[in-house]
Amino acid sequence: MISLIAFATLAGVLVGVSRQVNGRLSLSTSPLVSSFWNHVVGFVLLSVIGLGLGGLIPASAAAAPWYAYIGGPLGVIFVAAGSWLIPRIGATNTALLIIGGQMISGVALDLMSEAPRPLFASVIGVSLILAGMALTQRR
Amino acid sequence: MWQRQPNLRAMSDQTSARPTLIPVLAAFATGCLLTLMVHFNGELGRYGDPVFASWAAHGTGTVAAAIWLGIGWILTKASPFATSSHGRAPLWAYLGGISGAITVILTSMTVNSPLALSGTLALGLAGQVGFGLVADRFGLFGMPRRKADLRDYAALALIVAGSAVIIFSAGWAA
Repeated sequence: MISLIAFATLAGVLVGVSRQVNGRLSLSTSPLVSSFWNHVVGFVLLSVIGLGLGGLIPASAAAAPWYAYIGGPLGVIFVAAGSWLIPRIGATNTALLIIGGQMISGVALDLMSEAPRPLFASVIGVSLILAGMALTQRR
Repeated sequence: MWQRQPNLRAMSDQTSARPTLIPVLAAFATGCLLTLMVHFNGELGRYGDPVFASWAAHGTGTVAAAIWLGIGWILTKASPFATSSHGRAPLWAYLGGISGAITVILTSMTVNSPLALSGTLALGLAGQVGFGLVADRFGLFGMPRRKADLRDYAALALIVAGSAVIIFSAGWAA
């Protein structure tokens, strides 16, 4: 369990490291170029790992609908946006505001898809995040 | 990392000011985009597995980025790979994709463990924010330094608390 907790925390740290390193590259190039290299390097590494472990492309993957692949191009915009944000508002604000957007849009998605979610707790959570965002911003 | 970069010095003074509305809204919108991304990649993972989903997303992302860069190249007639006023990037700056790929492997392990999705999200949040504070304090990886003040910590506490409420209440509904 200790190692699982370490893994999950390390995953968060690595998200930050990746944003910081891509941010440095985008200073010398541009956010889109930085995102391009991020995807090239990630693709090569995952190919090596997948081929090493075997079964990189499961047979069942052929049944995936075309729109499931939209996540890739969206990821390019996501990584580029992170590189644009880091030098402007810093690593902490970037992480906090992206997490806030993810949480609130996640609640909205659950409400639209009628996934069960306690309304009262969701309202409290969203209110706290919006208050934090208002505090972050310059008046 | 080893060379002095006077531009970054000027930049750090500039960014120690509080963020203006545009970057704040852009960061929030980026988080909304992440929800869509996680949704689509989750679909892909449901048909394949998490490593396949990330591999495929990196592949289609590489193609999409190349197309967009190509279109920009044609429209502006300027190579997107020309170096800027910050000079050539150090070699390590090209390796950001490595930690992204490892992240997927780690989270695909923890989501399917007793930690589940809520634990993975909450600990990931803690890791990201903790790293952010250290990164800003010391200007890690050649990024500008940024000193947090009391108002920054208050905003941090509110956003982290709100996120924790949303993450851990997800399972309560009957």
